[in-house]
Amino acid sequence: MKAVDVIDLDVRYGAHQILEAIAFSVHSGEMIGICGPNGSGKTTLLKAMSRIIAPAAGEVYYNGEQMDTLSFRMLAQRVAVVPQETAINFDFTVSEIVMMGRHPYIGRFASESREDHAICDRVMRLANVSHLADMPVNQISGGERQRVLIARALAQEPDVLLLDEATSHLDISHQIEILSIIRKEMEKTATISVFHDINLASCYCDRIVLLNDRKIAAMGTPVQVITRDLIRCVYGIDVIVSSHPTTGRPYILPAYQDPMDEKRGGRVHIICGGSMGSQLLGMLHLTGCVLSAGVLNVLDSDYVTARDLGIPLISEAPFAPISASSSSLLKQWLEESDLIILVAMPVGMGNLSNLRMVSHYPKKTVILGSIDEFEDFTSGEATMILGNLLEGGGEECASPDQVMKRLCYREESSCSVPNSGSRLENLT
Amino acid sequence: MRYRGPATIFLLLVALSLSMLIAVATGPTSVPFASIFQDATAHQIIFDIRLPRVIAAVLVGAALATAGTAMQALFKNPMADPYIIGTSAGGSLGAVASIVFLAGFGLPVFAFTGAVGATFLVYTIARRGGKIPVETLLLTGVALSMFLSAMLSFLMYTSGKSLHQIVFWLMGGFWTVSWDQVWVALVIPVGCLLIYLFARDINIISLGDDEAVHLGVNVEQLKILLLFASAVLAGIAVSIAGAIGFIGLITPHLMRNIVGPDHRVLFPAAILAGALILLWADTFTRTLGNEMPVGIITAFLGAPFFMYLLRRRSAV
Repeated sequence: MKAVDVIDLDVRYGAHQILEAIAFSVHSGEMIGICGPNGSGKTTLLKAMSRIIAPAAGEVYYNGEQMDTLSFRMLAQRVAVVPQETAINFDFTVSEIVMMGRHPYIGRFASESREDHAICDRVMRLANVSHLADMPVNQISGGERQRVLIARALAQEPDVLLLDEATSHLDISHQIEILSIIRKEMEKTATISVFHDINLASCYCDRIVLLNDRKIAAMGTPVQVITRDLIRCVYGIDVIVSSHPTTGRPYILPAYQDPMDEKRGGRVHIICGGSMGSQLLGMLHLTGCVLSAGVLNVLDSDYVTARDLGIPLISEAPFAPISASSSSLLKQWLEESDLIILVAMPVGMGNLSNLRMVSHYPKKTVILGSIDEFEDFTSGEATMILGNLLEGGGEECASPDQVMKRLCYREESSCSVPNSGSRLENLT
Repeated sequence: MRYRGPATIFLLLVALSLSMLIAVATGPTSVPFASIFQDATAHQIIFDIRLPRVIAAVLVGAALATAGTAMQALFKNPMADPYIIGTSAGGSLGAVASIVFLAGFGLPVFAFTGAVGATFLVYTIARRGGKIPVETLLLTGVALSMFLSAMLSFLMYTSGKSLHQIVFWLMGGFWTVSWDQVWVALVIPVGCLLIYLFARDINIISLGDDEAVHLGVNVEQLKILLLFASAVLAGIAVSIAGAIGFIGLITPHLMRNIVGPDHRVLFPAAILAGALILLWADTFTRTLGNEMPVGIITAFLGAPFFMYLLRRRSAV
């Protein structure tokens, strides 16, 4: 049975629709992240799921029981909520606050049993707040207070845990600490958490629900949901999506500038390798030129950058030499290009055929860096080709900025970089 | 422990018991202990005049303290007391209407009805879609209090000869108390006990309404219970002794400083303290105060003390 089942939930404030046809389910032990822009209804969804506001339509089931059929006490035995940030005005102690988590289990005429005290002691140890037990809760730090609220939620022994940006106001170490506690200690609990930080959600969640404009825009594993297209569609910004080196989860970096909507510019091909081309790739990406790159080896860091930016590229397996088919594709792409940018890089026998191909088009080639910066592992052939390139009309540019200016200059004849002047200078 | 709950309650209990004995024993007429059971007049003074008055003062003090504590938790506002939501103004209007139109006939009933009726009116106006937002309730109470005060002023303006009686009644006092009122006042312990049963829920609701829902408290039901139990307690208090201010406001503050915010300890402590304060205020007016209205004494001593508490708290 599913721990949580949300069926076609609609929420309205008066005539104003906040959520529309929200439907998803969560299994025990699973952690779901709710992401979405401000005003997309994330917090409202949690409120509707914890009976703070009544939905206009739809139902919420917890372990097969419909929420409205449960009493407040019974609901609190099944579902715990950790709020965003709470100001507690009355100076209850930490242990008194945690004991409030046992409230739904204690009868009207009863007081706390030994078992209740044992549970509170245990959860305070788990949340690492035992040493604060007798402190007034309004005299501890924000991170400590949030851990106290986690302990209180643990004391409720819930099947379902709802977190409303429970870590947003904390520093990064406390965010990680608290989410790790939850993942570790709530193995059988279904957790639904609102996140502002998509990277944090990606790291801790099994699945992500992406809300936009009242509805679910996408739902699935972090890899399925955190894509450049979906983020652009929902948040309206351009991001670079990469894979986190230690967790393997996707993470995003904002590009901070939007690429041109239309691909109005000319066609530019970049030949690079190592990590020499990454910065240039990023800058060119914003200009609106039609870009292509290669031939690059898979896992080369320039390869990763080009892939993350969505630039079409020709690739070879890691450490494999450039094959004949790649070479002929490269020839075709170079033929179609208005401009070829060759980035200074180490050249060995494996990638020498990149240079050989470029040598046919010296007039439309720009070299980033001087030819002396190329490391030649080909006993002189690379150096010779580069020399010929310069003689045939190829130009050297000392920095990416200079390449960009060069691009603008060529503009007038072939490649049309939009807004060239101001836009490109902003990049420096 | 930061707070000394049980010890404070024990001390207050002892102090209250002793004070009741002393209060019964003192008065304008001195009654030798030996004469109580021999002299009929002495017996009458002790058992028909002083004892009901002492018991009434104790119960009214307890009622006001309980209602004040409950209101402060419900409104999450330390300025709240049973009078803030119009209970006092309603009770006063009922009493004054009885004095003006019926020459004081059925005054306690009118006062009680006015107090509870005003609370019900505030509740009905503030209610929106099955919920009572606390801010709306508070503001509605303040507005209704002003409206009722205006009606009260109008009645006083047109009252003619009975103005003196009205003013005297409004200041609050126990000089008319007999056993009849004490029997009615026995509802007070029942009301206090009912509220006390929800002490744990009240602790939780003081954190905030949403959090209380998350912890399994039926918040809207609890609000109704607190509102009407407090209104009944304050209504009975008003019907017996008129509008006595400051007990409901000060005792919860005073006791929260000593025993802490846990209502399971705070309620008994506030009840005992409220009873003790009102008993001594009444004993003072009975013996040395020339029967001036006790409301004058509670306000005269209470307001400066309250300011002292505020100063001390903001200094922390």
